[in-house]
Amino acid sequence: MNLSLNEVEATAKRAMRGVGHSWGPAEEAAKATRWLCAQGMDGIGALAKLTKLQSAQPSLPVAECPIAAGAHLSDQAAELRKEDITLQDIVFPVLLLPFAANVARFLDTPVSVTMDKTQFVTDGFALTTAFSVPEQASQITIKRGGIMIQTHPQCTRATPDPADWSELNRLAHFTYAPATEDSRLRGAGAGLSDND
Amino acid sequence: MTDTHPQIARRGPAQVMRLSRLGSLHQCRLSFMRQLTRRMARENWRFTRPVFDIDTNGVGHAVYTAHGPERAYSLVAFAHDLPPEQRSDRVIAEAWDATFTLFDGIPTTEDIERLSQNVPLQEAGRVSENELSLSRANRSVRLWAYVVDALAAGKQPDPEQIYKVGYLMRTTAVYGSGKFGAADRETTADRPELSAPFQTEMLSVYLTRTFVRDLVQHMAQAKGGDETASLDPAIAQWLGIGNSTGLGMAPFIINHPVLFNNWIMVREEAIARVRSVPHATPDRMAQFRAIFERSRLSVSWWRSDHPVQIDKLAALRTDLDMLTAELTQRDLTEHHPWDALICWSEDHLSEEGQELLASLILEPYGDLVDGLVDCMADSNAGAQMIDGSMSVAQVRALIRQSFDWALDLDWQEQANCARAWYVSEEKLEPRLGERFEEPIAEYEQPLAPARDAAAAYRALEDWADTDKIAAFLLHHPEHRHTIRRAQIGRVAPYGEIRDNTISANVLPIDMLRAKLSFFGATQFDPRSDRWVRICMYSGAPYPDELNTENADLWVYPEALQ
Repeated sequence: MNLSLNEVEATAKRAMRGVGHSWGPAEEAAKATRWLCAQGMDGIGALAKLTKLQSAQPSLPVAECPIAAGAHLSDQAAELRKEDITLQDIVFPVLLLPFAANVARFLDTPVSVTMDKTQFVTDGFALTTAFSVPEQASQITIKRGGIMIQTHPQCTRATPDPADWSELNRLAHFTYAPATEDSRLRGAGAGLSDND
Repeated sequence: MTDTHPQIARRGPAQVMRLSRLGSLHQCRLSFMRQLTRRMARENWRFTRPVFDIDTNGVGHAVYTAHGPERAYSLVAFAHDLPPEQRSDRVIAEAWDATFTLFDGIPTTEDIERLSQNVPLQEAGRVSENELSLSRANRSVRLWAYVVDALAAGKQPDPEQIYKVGYLMRTTAVYGSGKFGAADRETTADRPELSAPFQTEMLSVYLTRTFVRDLVQHMAQAKGGDETASLDPAIAQWLGIGNSTGLGMAPFIINHPVLFNNWIMVREEAIARVRSVPHATPDRMAQFRAIFERSRLSVSWWRSDHPVQIDKLAALRTDLDMLTAELTQRDLTEHHPWDALICWSEDHLSEEGQELLASLILEPYGDLVDGLVDCMADSNAGAQMIDGSMSVAQVRALIRQSFDWALDLDWQEQANCARAWYVSEEKLEPRLGERFEEPIAEYEQPLAPARDAAAAYRALEDWADTDKIAAFLLHHPEHRHTIRRAQIGRVAPYGEIRDNTISANVLPIDMLRAKLSFFGATQFDPRSDRWVRICMYSGAPYPDELNTENADLWVYPEALQ
């Protein structure tokens, strides 16, 4: 399984929409997944786990969802100039990192994200490596500054676990209207002969 | 964009971004096909055909390589023997007369073996990061057999027949940018030869045209043997590549507001620069008059059976007669002659005629406008990030800027939201349905920016002017998509269509035409309100003839001597 990053982004967006999110948050999730894959991180795995959890528990509080919290973090980028931002109890917090990268690009400075005992630093374009990637974190601190050493090499392809990729595709399928002969004729426009 | 402070301002988005005008755009010297042929000639690209292994039934494969200054690109073409009943240009087709990929470099035998198992399957196959595009083409039943038979009988085809159809094969999809496993645009966007929009796809089609010319000669040879005539290059020149384009292009221009803005804004800037020229030299006037005459010939070849286009063509022909009369009266020696002509056209010509004229006045001024093509790509990834510190008042102003006309529309009225854009389960292509007659509303794609802007604007009424938009979005994630677009409006004033894309009378072909005109397409022939046929590269020199003399104005025909 070797995917282009466009395929990752397109499918991630549809999968989030398939779970019931609005298009705006779905776009955030898609760009976040793509960014993680570009860093060589398993963005698809993280999103597949998140969507699985959200399918089972649609009322996951906004404050615990890394996409909702991440989007809000990105929206508050300017605030980080004044003070650190802390978050509590986020699932699959690795999905916050692309939003921290937005903040880093916006402020033009590296940003550190500490998830309990694991720390990442991003300058918006690259990401430092960590020993492990936590599945949840009770205390997350985002602050300006950090040293960009031992960064992930950039990737142009994603090589996800096929089961995770299938899961995203299964969810994406919920956004497709079932085909009917009617839609084939009306929806795509029958019109004049196409074989002349 | 370099600002040379033209005295005449650009036409504003409220005038330009109406669907009827976008649906009347014409190619111009900024078009992507012409950018490519100019570059290839300027850089002295070399072209080779290392493989042409096709049998007498027309089955096999061929490779065409374009050698640029730093890199090579190869069209790998597979020719098939397609039973007539399987030939369909619809996206639901599963077999084609020919299938293609543009390979990044020069393919090995192993690459070709791998591609032979995937490219003929199109959407059902996979390509890799070594491939930049995936496409297919069908023969024109009207012209293919006629040309093969004529050549096999030792005769040349009648040029009139060629002008009527314009192509021997038409592509029915050219997929790029990461589709079906191909390389993402980002991996090649920093190469000078591919940095402008759609250069990969334009190169693929340019090489496809050469393959089709060679294939028709090959098939004629197989039939006629020693008696076969060689296709006259003067006739071959007018064979383009057809293209059938469906609804996929309409969502594209809505989903890429920065990119679409850049195309439109560059053309508007170019028009403003030429309108600001104080005096036209005799040389430039002569160039314009010559191109105008050639353009008239091109329009005379343009045919369509679609009622909407029949009417537009009739109006355009009247426009051209009026413009001809006007040009005999005006000597273009007045102050700001091009501005005067454009102002006259706004009072006298249809939108087809106005936009044709706006494209044509750019032709003598390559030195003023060609540099703008470097601004047509979208390299502004940062525009996607929402600035949450913006005040509610500022966001309201941004929404009004693009959608003031939409805020008071009754969006509950059926005629105003009669349609819904959705993606079908079958082949995952976009379609447009009837919201009140089909079960599609729950699958609706976000392709009605005006309606969504009106909804967000209403939701913002409950918020104070000084509230930050970040706070609003925390409570209203459903408006996040719209707020992002509104903020993109700061850098992309021409990014939003100023019309209702889900109204009962929307014509999707207007959106298709806007995009295709920037490719450089001609001979727009709508086949319904949702798909259109066009012609690409008709008149262009073939690779072995391409030089700096003929690389640019080929789109304007000259009467055969």
